[in-house]
Amino acid sequence: MDEEARAGAFYAHVSAGGKVEPDDWMPDEYRAAVLKFVEMHANSELMGVLPEREWILRAPTLRRKLALTSKVQDEVGHAQLLYRVAEDLGKSREQMLQDLLAGKTKFHNVFHYPTRSWADVGIIAWLVDAAAIVSQQALRDSSYAPYARTMKKICWEESVHIMHGRDVVLTMMNGTDNQRALVQDALDRWWGPLMQMHGPPTNPATDRDLIWKIKAKGNEQLRQEFLSIYVPRIRELGLVIPDPALAYDEVAGRWAYSEPDWDELRWVVTGHGPKSQERLEFRRLHRAETQWVRDAIIGPVGAAA
Amino acid sequence: MTGLDAATRGALGELLLAMADDEFVLGFWDSEWTGIAPILEEDVAMSSVSQDEIGHAKALYEMLAMLTGDDADRIAFGRRPDAYRHAALMNHPRTDWAFTIARRYLYETADAVRLESLAGSSHEPLANLAIKMRREETYHLLHFDLWLRRLTEGGSESRDRLISALQELWTDAQAVFAPLVAEANLLTTGILAESMETLRQRWLARITPRFAELGLPAMPGAPQPHADGRSLHGADFSWLHGEFTMVADSEPRASW
Amino acid sequence: MGVKDKVWEVFRQEAEGDPMIHGGSVRAPDEELATHYAREFYGRRQESERLWIVARDAITELSDPDLLKPPFDRSFKRPGGFLIKHKLETARQRAGVSDAPSQEDLSE
Repeated sequence: MDEEARAGAFYAHVSAGGKVEPDDWMPDEYRAAVLKFVEMHANSELMGVLPEREWILRAPTLRRKLALTSKVQDEVGHAQLLYRVAEDLGKSREQMLQDLLAGKTKFHNVFHYPTRSWADVGIIAWLVDAAAIVSQQALRDSSYAPYARTMKKICWEESVHIMHGRDVVLTMMNGTDNQRALVQDALDRWWGPLMQMHGPPTNPATDRDLIWKIKAKGNEQLRQEFLSIYVPRIRELGLVIPDPALAYDEVAGRWAYSEPDWDELRWVVTGHGPKSQERLEFRRLHRAETQWVRDAIIGPVGAAA
Repeated sequence: MTGLDAATRGALGELLLAMADDEFVLGFWDSEWTGIAPILEEDVAMSSVSQDEIGHAKALYEMLAMLTGDDADRIAFGRRPDAYRHAALMNHPRTDWAFTIARRYLYETADAVRLESLAGSSHEPLANLAIKMRREETYHLLHFDLWLRRLTEGGSESRDRLISALQELWTDAQAVFAPLVAEANLLTTGILAESMETLRQRWLARITPRFAELGLPAMPGAPQPHADGRSLHGADFSWLHGEFTMVADSEPRASW
Repeated sequence: MGVKDKVWEVFRQEAEGDPMIHGGSVRAPDEELATHYAREFYGRRQESERLWIVARDAITELSDPDLLKPPFDRSFKRPGGFLIKHKLETARQRAGVSDAPSQEDLSE
């Protein structure tokens, strides 16, 4: 079978719901597409650690300290799981970390923004993780089987984080006026990035990640799912969502909302977010500082994996 | 905790506070590694160990809270820096990986001796807690002995950093066994089966041959620690205290 | 990856008596560290009864469809390949037994 026919059979297989394992033959384009997708996801987990990490030392009770440390630990664990999936596609972890820190690869928008208070910790753990889990649940059916399996494990672990986040928010909403004000302020700042998080709607006819079933659902569908579940849960606490145009359109059967700022999204993910450079620099510094440990334990980097 | 007279309650409280503060402060310093440890897999491992320490601290604060009628979080977060009773070993910041491993090795081996002895405490709740904690500490001991070995055998840089860290921490490590103010009472009542000094000698007898086995140089003399080994803290701890009380202090009567 | 580094596959047992199932992989320079990491990734939440840690290069994979899914009928090798429902009905009628066959009968 020539290369083209082989690729044709492969694409027919994945479009029909067939699965792919690391040692299976796959067209270079598919391999590259999966690698890019998983690498960005891995990068996001790794960078996602930083906004919350600041608050580990500041957690105000023993239980919160345990829960937050555990949550951040899980994010590091997810980075490991995803880098392993990507690495088995042919790019070494070291190369991926290098590319991330050199600004050559991206990570999700939400992790480029600052956290300003303990309320941010609650809002992020609840709503950012919720938006992420909506995507991740859809990815459990990815055509690339190692990724799909990893997503099942990640979804199970993320469900705890959302409960922790919601608990933090609820406790503050039931607390003092000042605590409630902090939560509203956090929501005001995070709503924009949240709405941008799933990305602009894509054309299903040309979105290769959709066609090859690397991902199972489109961006707009994910956003709508997120809104359907979480808008009522946010409003029932007495919080005001800072988008006056946000409303469910019964006729159209979907949520209407103010168009997210896609320019902001593009600007931020290309490294121009308020905290992008600071966080990359922070990682660069720590990676350099600990290089001697890796050299001692796993030895210098050998030929590409 | 009926059946204990006031003096004994005070003595037991001092012991619990010392142990809880050791675990609490060390757990805090090492939790800083979450997200920035040298290797991804190790990041998760170190975070687990830090969480274990906070979990143990929580159990000890809760036992103390029952004794004094207070609240565990208030004890943990509600004191001024000079009222904490952790050993001087915990006054140092996280510093680098070699420093962290050195401190962990010294602390875990010392804590193992302490817990082993407390498993025979006349105060049953404390004995039971010590037995529980020892089971979790199995992993800690394995893990940090492994790292002591790896850094020793990992080349001259890792070995030099490790040795330098061990030497810097050596005197302060003795303070884990600093005599307690009410130690006489604890020994009479059997809450402590053996004196802190006896435990310290046992600890030294265990780790000295281990260092020799690994080809690490002998540590400088191990002078008996003063009682203030648990009450004099410095600028680094004050900084940490500022961090961990920041949110709690922002709204003193609020629930978080 | 580092010259001393390797990939280790981790298999886990969910509950006592269950089969070992593949969980994922960790990187480590040797078995000892791999075991600690396996515990972290597949056991820190008390979710596993038992773990197996195996160097990836110790595993042999077979996925050739000619060997695993050859084309000729092999239903005689599986219970579902024997359909006895109608034959059983016929035999029972001839023997004068009027009950419908039980689920047990059909699965034999």
